[in-house]
Amino acid sequence: MTLEITINNNTFVLHCTGSVYWVEKCMLLISDVHLGKVSHFRKYGAAIPGQAKYKNFLKLDSVVSFFSPERICFLGDLFHSTLNNEWDLFADWINRTRIPVILVAGNHDIISPHKYESLGVTVCSEWQLNGFLLSHHPEQREGLFTLCGHIHPAVLLEGMGRQFVKLPCFFRGTKQMILPAFGEFTGTYIMEPAEGDIIYGITKEDVIQVEAKV
Amino acid sequence: MNREQLFDIATGWFDSKGWKPFPFQTQTWTAFLQGKNGLLNAPTGSGKTYALWIPVVLNYIKKNPDYKTKYKPGLKAIWITPLRALSVEIKQAAERVADDLGTQLTVGIRTGDTTSAERSRQKNKMPDLLVTTPESMQLMLASKDYPKIFKGCTAIIIDEWHELLGTKRGVQTELALSRLKTVAPKMRIWGISATIGNLQQAMEVLLGPESEALNNAVMIKAHINKKINVLSVLPEKMDAYPWRGHMGLHLVDEVAAIIKKSRTTLIFTNVRSACEIWYQALLDKYPEFAGDMAMHHGSISREMRQWVEQAIRDEQLRAVVCTSSLDLGVDFAPVETVVQVGGPKGVARFLQRAGRSGHRPGQESNIYFLATHAIELVEASALKRAVEETVVEDRVPYLNSWDVLVQYLVTLAVSDGFYPDEIFKEVKSTFCYQAITDDDWQFCLNFITRGSQSLKAYDEFKKVEIEADGRFKVNSKAVALRHRMQIGTIVGDASINVKFLGGGYIGSVEEWFISKLSPGDVFIFAGRKLELHRIKNMEVLVRKADPGAKAKHASWMGGRLTLSAQMSELLREELYAANTNSMSQELKALSPVFERQRKESIVPDENQFLIETFKTREGYHAIFYPFEGRYVHEALASLMAFRISLLSPITFSLAYNDYGFELLSDQEIDMQQVLDNDLFTPLHLHSDLQRSLNATEMARRKFRDIAVIAGLVFTGYPGKVVKTKHLQSSSQLIFEVFRDYEPDNLLFQQAYRETFEHQLEEGRLLLALERIQRQEIVWKQCEKPTPFSFPIITDRLRERLSSESLADRIRRMTASYMK
Repeated sequence: MTLEITINNNTFVLHCTGSVYWVEKCMLLISDVHLGKVSHFRKYGAAIPGQAKYKNFLKLDSVVSFFSPERICFLGDLFHSTLNNEWDLFADWINRTRIPVILVAGNHDIISPHKYESLGVTVCSEWQLNGFLLSHHPEQREGLFTLCGHIHPAVLLEGMGRQFVKLPCFFRGTKQMILPAFGEFTGTYIMEPAEGDIIYGITKEDVIQVEAKV
Repeated sequence: MNREQLFDIATGWFDSKGWKPFPFQTQTWTAFLQGKNGLLNAPTGSGKTYALWIPVVLNYIKKNPDYKTKYKPGLKAIWITPLRALSVEIKQAAERVADDLGTQLTVGIRTGDTTSAERSRQKNKMPDLLVTTPESMQLMLASKDYPKIFKGCTAIIIDEWHELLGTKRGVQTELALSRLKTVAPKMRIWGISATIGNLQQAMEVLLGPESEALNNAVMIKAHINKKINVLSVLPEKMDAYPWRGHMGLHLVDEVAAIIKKSRTTLIFTNVRSACEIWYQALLDKYPEFAGDMAMHHGSISREMRQWVEQAIRDEQLRAVVCTSSLDLGVDFAPVETVVQVGGPKGVARFLQRAGRSGHRPGQESNIYFLATHAIELVEASALKRAVEETVVEDRVPYLNSWDVLVQYLVTLAVSDGFYPDEIFKEVKSTFCYQAITDDDWQFCLNFITRGSQSLKAYDEFKKVEIEADGRFKVNSKAVALRHRMQIGTIVGDASINVKFLGGGYIGSVEEWFISKLSPGDVFIFAGRKLELHRIKNMEVLVRKADPGAKAKHASWMGGRLTLSAQMSELLREELYAANTNSMSQELKALSPVFERQRKESIVPDENQFLIETFKTREGYHAIFYPFEGRYVHEALASLMAFRISLLSPITFSLAYNDYGFELLSDQEIDMQQVLDNDLFTPLHLHSDLQRSLNATEMARRKFRDIAVIAGLVFTGYPGKVVKTKHLQSSSQLIFEVFRDYEPDNLLFQQAYRETFEHQLEEGRLLLALERIQRQEIVWKQCEKPTPFSFPIITDRLRERLSSESLADRIRRMTASYMK
């Protein structure tokens, strides 16, 4: 269900939901949840099953209870679009969870920071911590290791007998690691790894480091 | 005026052109003037247009005897054509009649190409005779006060009905007709169809089963029996024939010789990319054809296509390389010869293409069949017999297409709104929805008003509103606009226009193709070498490339055709003949291939079912040969893979063509166990298919179209740069959400039903399994791939099926790293 890795002497536990627990900071990192997407579609007349909107919150609950973090940091694209009634579900979740929440805002986060602050959520555009840069967009900055989202990375795996599998993944380079999208109703983008990149694929139950083709 | 006088006017007009009306034409005139509905069975280019335009005009004359001095405005007839490219021709034909007879009747066109200025002019003053497409017809039903426009309409003619039948555009047409029957009670309904196996049913679908319209209908057959000669293009030496390859370019010289012998030749390919490649190959080897040869396919700009069509008529071209884009439409009298490259997969399509040549009375049609690989020659031999015995396929109409119904209901709600009780009766009167239940109907109403079936949740879903008097109506302008943009049932890959930097539209390519290129890359499209400059505002800007530059051919996704049931039966019979002394010329030509096949394996006869296994560096191959056509093999492959995967955890990649299918794995399949366990049994067929992962995969793909048609996915505004990204989502994701939260949703279930009825063809599958049960299974363990297996194992389009855990598979796999 999890895989422990080390980056610059810090320990991170990768979870099969796509979230990461930063052990030294007791902080849970989650990227690209895209809350409100289902309701947004429905508001515009596309009849996506309304029940689906609860799934993200169930998933959030399960990782929070698994790690019991002291803080949760969302790496952007927490909400898909403008305010809709999924905000109320989010507010309920914040009140229920009672853990400090920080949002590093992404391109989709167009809901006013005041709304977040009224719930006690801190909003910032980036966050530097212990030589790590937490941001939404991938970025390489001197002396820092970036943890980010935005891309929704996946890789294409190849095997004997013409087998192929597309797999969402944590995409780790020498200076940054991109988290997979946590949200239920989100797509992926296929990355082409280069030498030195490390891929941690996620399935419903596991996190597996993927071998490079020789 | 009585009928005799009216006929005198018509025959007088025919005389003035130096023509004589055919019996089927006068029969149609009579039936039409008697107020009957009907189906006219006549091939393309037989004069069917005048069979129906004439009585429309005669009927007007009959009702308005002083027609030359007094003009009565208002829409009188609608002509629906499946291809908007044909609309100009049809309009011209109608104008000729209307003008020559001095009726003052006007003819107008309304298709996707009609400008908005022209459309609003039509709104104020409708033309008397309107030529349109099924989609534009729906759009008219989405405009305010539409019943007024159609009220006085006396006829609607559905041209090329065989092309619409068996598609969702046909369903769309059925629905439009059901509405028009109410708003235009005087309207006659006429269909025109080429020969198909189920003509009687075609008429029933058009007019509505057990309807009044059907009771007052006739079927008129043109009976134009033209001799069709089928000739195989064979190389001098058979050794040169490739085992696979889907282009047939090794026969370029033979084709050039055919072109040179004939005045005008049409060369039909099955897909657009083959069309581009053949055009280039002919030009490269025979530069003297430049200027005398052209290309015609659906992605080339309309101007260029129209130019080509006119040039054929004017005898300016020796050869045109084309796709199904020239299947339909009017007469091309100068065409003497037709070449078909690759298997046409269906007899009806082949006959239609053959019929493109030799239009002059008394002439014969010549069609050359060019097999692109060796085994395809068996198909040539089968086609010859099919033509002799005039075997034609059925077109199977859709049933219960909820996606189209949902779209139609929103269309009505966008215009004046609708009252469910009235519309339900009309919908139930159509062929497609004859079995609709009250629950199904309620589902559709709930879907468009609440976006779900559950009553409880407070929700922001917004589309159709129910007004106080019970009228279902769309009140939001934004919803209405988005819906109008999305009307239609043809769901294609997103395409993007190609233009020269200095202006000049060339055509359109699919987005996925262009996304693989970067600026500076060269590709061949519409017969030209083009260099990609950049992509801007949904347009690909290009410049002429250096003629020596290395280039990629543009390609399109497009579905692959499958052999029809009739064709596969003929094909099997032909192949079995390879073991006898009565071999056709094509089979004789194939002898070296058969000889090679027999070295390690067999050429099966009627009582044998062949399985071959061998190992290559790709893995362990098992090839099965039912000879049942692509779709049946797709299903069989899925079924067998599933059943074998129950024996032990294993992962397969599946490939299939019209002759057989392959299960490829990184582990060896225990074939003896497959045989011992009788895995070919027809028992539990349905449940096994449903459980096979592959059915889900196929349904997922079917769902894509359904999601777009039902308005679950917004595809954006065609060719326009409007920000819709926040509303875009892949239908794949939506499919999963439905599977997890609303598996009983009728649209979700429809995806499975369409998979089983239209793709898997469960009925045919069952017959195939029963046949295999009666055959002796011959399992050959081969050292290397056989000629029969070659086209299958080299196919790159594959499905997968696995009974292993994903994690186990990933541990044996590797990521493809950038070079």
